[in-house]
Amino acid sequence: MSVSTHRRASGATLRGRLEGVDRSLPVWVATALAIVALMALPLAWLGYMSVGAEQGTTFGHYREVFRDEALRKALWHTLVLAFWTGLVSVALGAPLAWLTARTNVPGKKLIRALVMASFVTPPFLGAFAWVMLAGPNAGLLNRMWRDLTGATDPLLDIFTMSGLVFVVTMYTFPYVYIMLANTLALIASDLEDAAAIHGAGRLGVALTITLPLVAPAIVSGFILAVLQALALFGSPAILALPAGFHTITTQVWSFFHFPPKVEQAAAVSIPLLLATALLLLMQKRLLGRRGYATVGGKGGQRRTIALGIWRYPALAAVFVVMAGSIFLPYAVLAKAAFARAWAQPLTWSNVTLANFTFTLFEYSSTKAAILNTVELGLATATMGAGLAALLSYVTNRRLVVGHQLVAFLALAPVVIPGVVLAVALFIAYTRPPFVLYGTLAILFVAYLTKEMPVGYAQSDATFRSIPPDLEEAGRILGAGRLRVLRDVTAPLARSGIIAAWCFIFIGVIRELSASIILFTPNTRVMSVVIFDLKEEGQFGAIAVLGLAMLAMTFATVSVVQAALGRDVLGVKE
Amino acid sequence: MPGVAIKDLARHYGGVAAVDGLSLDVKPGELVALLGPSGCGKTTTLRLVAGFLKPESGEIWVGDRCLSSPSAVVPPERRRMAMIFQSYALWPHMTVAQNVAYGLRFKRGLPRAEREKKVGEILRVVQLAGYEARYPGELSGGQQQRVAVARALVVEPEILLLDEPLSNLDANLREEMRFEIRRLHEEFAITTLYVTHDQGEAMVISDRIAVLERGRVAQIGTADELFHQPRTRFVAEFIGKTNLVDGMAVKPDAIAHGPLTFRVASDTLVPGAHVALSIRPHHIELVAPNAPKEDGVNILQGSIERASFLGETVDYQVAVKDSDLVVRVAAPAVARLRPGGLVGLRIPRAACVVLAEG
Ligand SMILES: Nc1ncnc2c1ncn2[C@@H]1O[C@H](COP(=O)(O)OP(=O)(O)O)[C@@H](O)[C@H]1O
Ligand SMILES: [Mg+2]
Repeated sequence: MSVSTHRRASGATLRGRLEGVDRSLPVWVATALAIVALMALPLAWLGYMSVGAEQGTTFGHYREVFRDEALRKALWHTLVLAFWTGLVSVALGAPLAWLTARTNVPGKKLIRALVMASFVTPPFLGAFAWVMLAGPNAGLLNRMWRDLTGATDPLLDIFTMSGLVFVVTMYTFPYVYIMLANTLALIASDLEDAAAIHGAGRLGVALTITLPLVAPAIVSGFILAVLQALALFGSPAILALPAGFHTITTQVWSFFHFPPKVEQAAAVSIPLLLATALLLLMQKRLLGRRGYATVGGKGGQRRTIALGIWRYPALAAVFVVMAGSIFLPYAVLAKAAFARAWAQPLTWSNVTLANFTFTLFEYSSTKAAILNTVELGLATATMGAGLAALLSYVTNRRLVVGHQLVAFLALAPVVIPGVVLAVALFIAYTRPPFVLYGTLAILFVAYLTKEMPVGYAQSDATFRSIPPDLEEAGRILGAGRLRVLRDVTAPLARSGIIAAWCFIFIGVIRELSASIILFTPNTRVMSVVIFDLKEEGQFGAIAVLGLAMLAMTFATVSVVQAALGRDVLGVKE
Repeated sequence: MPGVAIKDLARHYGGVAAVDGLSLDVKPGELVALLGPSGCGKTTTLRLVAGFLKPESGEIWVGDRCLSSPSAVVPPERRRMAMIFQSYALWPHMTVAQNVAYGLRFKRGLPRAEREKKVGEILRVVQLAGYEARYPGELSGGQQQRVAVARALVVEPEILLLDEPLSNLDANLREEMRFEIRRLHEEFAITTLYVTHDQGEAMVISDRIAVLERGRVAQIGTADELFHQPRTRFVAEFIGKTNLVDGMAVKPDAIAHGPLTFRVASDTLVPGAHVALSIRPHHIELVAPNAPKEDGVNILQGSIERASFLGETVDYQVAVKDSDLVVRVAAPAVARLRPGGLVGLRIPRAACVVLAEG
């Protein structure tokens, strides 16, 4: 009797063991390994290279780099640029957010759309446009000024530090706007009313209640803007180099002029990486400690502040800012695209479509670049959205041991500025075991890495909103994990994943700072070609490529809005 | 129709034991309620049985199949079970009919027409005929609940698991659905584990109740057994209101609490042992002060501290004379006594249930 029970038990356990094999496990493990490989390889090489010597290790590269007078200057310029960009971004973004979130300023939808447009406009396009607008000699605004006043000196010179700060800020203030608008939307007026009932005056309420509540958002917007400016390559390269100064990013880039000084590039990159990581950590702390949770009151009413006679002046002020970021740059790009000579008035004889036919069909290097960009955009977005979806599924459902590490790695590239990433990838993929340099594959890997945080954050939010119950209900009724993924999870996650795809696509087609280091003559992309065409003075072609890039961007943005049912700025990160 | 045997099951989260040496036998066709306060491990137990979690120790058997052990867990989809979730977990992108039909897709060799017929039948059983094309978002809470029930029953599972299925319904509907679920159980006789924290619900629905305390079964039995013979303080307090009296055994059938002596419903006490009594409020009768002594009945004196009118009964708090005891008494609302009045308390010996745990 006891023997037979025993046999039965072990037989059943064996069967159980066979039935118990989870056939989906290899998928999750492979996903986790992919992200580890993607992140670990280049970063390890970067660190290794910065301290590598003929024999053993050395801090010689660091010493060399930080003793270098030119580099110290570049560092200083970077700090100045980043600080002022942060400050001016707050000065512009905060009032804008307040206007649209709390007042009865007219045209709120339009204002939001314009802020969104600034947000997605590639900053280097803005920089080009401002070269055409405010270059000291040929700049259109300066010519108008001279024609009007008869003066001989230019009104504006964009090739200065203040010019650079201005242009960078025009595309950076939306970060402050997003942080603040989303916070203000959460502060119910009853918190403020409560203070008013207790006898606080209008200013008192603003100072004691509203300001402390939004301060973390403002500071964290400031930090995001600073980070943006730190990592930027295009605008400094376009505006600072002609003005005769470097920033860190342009300096790193110049290390790659022949002969490439990879070790120095690595030694500069590591501190830049650490600074970025530190700033982001600060921002997280700031939001974490007094996060939105305390601010959130769901049913709370938001009172609208009546601006009275100031309604239209306020709108006019908004338009002045938007003139700097959207109206004037877009207008001058459009003009340059349709004109034979962009600096001449747009008379009938000056209008032409030649720039379009030349750029899109005749000039081989622009044609190839457009194809490369579209190809890379599609490939990266598809692969990236897929990988991000799998990764966030793995981390949300805790499918592998070490899922926290997976989440960390997927978000890690946030702290890696484009040029640093490029240096790391350059080192990692110019030598065995993976020689990718010179192919589109290295750009693909760069974009995949760089855009992973955006895609991951979006799909993470998506899976968070799908309760695991829904999957478990399918499992218990007889569907395997992969089957449930197909029947239940995928349909529910679809719009979120489409949005992730779009965010990645937008990021890829505008990417310059990594591409500029990793491209080779056969693998040039639109942003790189735009950059090169400047040397040749081909402003018509630049404008056409720029408009094409903007068209692709806005088309993708509208897909996101359709998929998510809200605008792009609603993302809270 | 197999039963379920759970043997010495354990599962931790972090350092905390959610399920801690839990054993339970569910007979074929029986409905057992897992009853306990929030956080006592009910959901974890159910998820272990469903195969969503792997036990750290112990085994789960269904009939002669060992479905879970620390070395192997048969995945949920191959356990021939169905589950009804607290949230219902209806798929918002599928219609009622698609939701209900989903589990049938995995029954090999079931023709499409047969599938549709079964869906129609079960929807009639849960009184949702005509709602096939609706989406879950277009149904009321009670209707969603019925869809969840239909989806689980249509696959004719060997085991049915329910996790607080009624807790999202309003009070009236909850009452009605209790009987509905009991009726369905009598109709289909599926071996069922029913998780709830509501003792009234457990009593109406189940054949037997397993009271869970900190990840173990504190006591299992019919509602009647648990109510009249609770074995532990925890069970006595959790199933209905009760008065607990700590004391020391002075005779095999009596305990002392200070100067008071209680004759109890036991005659096997070891004198000198610490024991606790449970006395249900409605087993105590209010009588005139200085009522005569009776055999096998404890008579105490006390004064009324508070009287709360509850409709059919009055809930009295009576301070017992010469003692720190304050006992609750549920008396019929015919005669209303005022606070401050002196009363006698008549407690039959059989009402003084000795708890196993001190
Ligand atoms: N996923 C989890 N992670 C950590 N702790 C958990 C998790 N699920 C349950 N617990 C803990 O295990 C204990 C039992 O939980 P649960 O089974 O959900 O209780 P019940 O369903 O009886 O309310 C609780 O202390 C709970 O905090
Ligand atoms: Mg629970």
